Amino acid sequence: MIHLDMVGKAYQMGSETVHALRNVNLTIESGDYIAVIGPSGSGKSTLMNIVGCLDTATHGRYTLADHEVARLSGDRLAEVRNATIGFVFQTFNLLPRLSARENVELPLIYAGMSKSDRRKRSEVMLRRVGLEDRMRHKPNELSGGQRQRVAIARALATSPAVLLADEPTGALDTHTGLEIMRLLEDLNTEGTTLILVTHDHELAMRAHREIRLRDGEIVHEEIR
Amino acid sequence: MGRRSLWESARMSFRSIAGSPVRSGLTALGVMIGVASVISLVALGRGAQQEVAGNLQQLGSNLLMVYSGEPRGTALVRTNTSNIRPTLTQTDLEAIRDAGPDLVNLAAPASTSNAQLQFENRNAAVTVTGTTPEYPEIRNFRPVYGAFFDQSHVDARSSVVAIGMQVYRELFDAGTDPIGRTIRINGASFVVTAVMEEKGTAAQDNSVLIPISTYQRRISGDSAYAMIAVQAADSSVMRDLQAVIEENLLRLHRMPSMDGADFYVVNQLDLLATVEGVAGTFTLMLASIAGISLIVGGIGIMNIMLVSVTERTREIGVRMALGARRRDITVQFLTEAVLIAVAGGIIGIAIGIAGSWAAFRFARIASEVTITSVLMAFGFSLLVGLFFGGYPAWRASRLNPIEALRYE
Repeated sequence: MIHLDMVGKAYQMGSETVHALRNVNLTIESGDYIAVIGPSGSGKSTLMNIVGCLDTATHGRYTLADHEVARLSGDRLAEVRNATIGFVFQTFNLLPRLSARENVELPLIYAGMSKSDRRKRSEVMLRRVGLEDRMRHKPNELSGGQRQRVAIARALATSPAVLLADEPTGALDTHTGLEIMRLLEDLNTEGTTLILVTHDHELAMRAHREIRLRDGEIVHEEIR
Repeated sequence: MGRRSLWESARMSFRSIAGSPVRSGLTALGVMIGVASVISLVALGRGAQQEVAGNLQQLGSNLLMVYSGEPRGTALVRTNTSNIRPTLTQTDLEAIRDAGPDLVNLAAPASTSNAQLQFENRNAAVTVTGTTPEYPEIRNFRPVYGAFFDQSHVDARSSVVAIGMQVYRELFDAGTDPIGRTIRINGASFVVTAVMEEKGTAAQDNSVLIPISTYQRRISGDSAYAMIAVQAADSSVMRDLQAVIEENLLRLHRMPSMDGADFYVVNQLDLLATVEGVAGTFTLMLASIAGISLIVGGIGIMNIMLVSVTERTREIGVRMALGARRRDITVQFLTEAVLIAVAGGIIGIAIGIAGSWAAFRFARIASEVTITSVLMAFGFSLLVGLFFGGYPAWRASRLNPIEALRYE
């Protein structure tokens, strides 16, 4: 599914070259549940951006579902993101002017789905996260947990193979956070690859596999 | 880019515009004012052009005037020729008439001078024109009451007169039948046979017309004509006719060229072209000034769109993460700019049309809104939207999704 081979990311900061990520070898199989953990500045955001096709590596090879990602153009990357990756953000990143349903429909618009199909699909997704009675609500009319559910429904809309969750509980209270984690884990049980990016050890413990990053390198890896 | 996603972009743009109506309205205002001023100023220019051309046409259709003497200005019709030494003769007139039915329709000699009119105890200062029966047709100046004199009156040097409407009002009480009454022109008695139609210009309404033969004997004492009014057979042959007249008259007058000749020809078509050229330049100038305000409106759109792109950086990042391609983002922002510009344009067109209607309705300022100017204004507002929305949209599409997502 996901295969990183000696992947690195270097920035030019003035005359100095900064390695945000170096020599990362990582294989994630379809259906895995993996946690990426590390303090801020450890390179986990960079890794997540590369895996999520928002950024391209400067070194090494990255293949995602048989695509050699480094070779793809910006528009092809966008298509890969649309079809293969579902993003769940710490701050939900819902568009405030759109209703829950319209937010869920966004990736479907870019996938070129017809309006009637989008309506059906968004309804199924919102039902899946338990928000069938909140479809017309705007994000500011929803609680934090509900917003994250909408974001998860949106991430799932195009049936991506990989769900990339960046601190998905970071802005929620413990109880709600736990509910969201259970939802994500349910989706993983149903077959979606789940990548959890966090600095919270307790949360990382839940994953089947844990990768610890420091200074841009994988320093520890364990499988439970 | 499929039709569907273009429609989706348009829908998203609608929502975004409707989401901040005050801002969108103010942004569109610039284009609105620009388009309204283009429409109304062009209409004003066109109106002026039409009015001048209309006035010129009023003088008679397909009109050529042959004048005695050296060229004096470009006036098509002179209201007083008494200061011109007449050089045109009966032979000249016949030569013009002989140019053939393909070229010439009618020709009439005319001389004009100031005269004092008297009826009972009333006086009027008028212009008196000696001419022939073709004159009313050539000059598009016809009797409304009574009958204009005919060739027999010319042959007999009859003392008959056709009077202008203003002359009638000054000399006679309203409702009085003037036909058959005797008036005095510079002391000589004339019988009124006709009242001419009202043309709205003193040159015609305050004039009287008498047979040219009578004019020559009683008023000028000269057998030559000051001018010859010619009606061409068709507007398309006016320049040919002018050339033929010049050629024939030069030969008759034994002169080598029009330089220093003792006659000259004024062609209505040339005057019309000159007047329309001047009015056209005037219209273009007005349109350009108005066009500048359209550009200022466009800059306003660009300004707001740039602010909007910055404000919505995070939204752009989210859309990109969800699979929006660069062109999806470009189209979304471009559509937004174009919609604002076109909405401003449409309202501007309505205001412009209403404005020129009001100018006519309340101030009697002639103006003509043409379909061309409406289409052009619409097209320009579309272009303004595309042009000034282009840069902000391009900027939006060039955002790095990671930085855009991180933007606070």
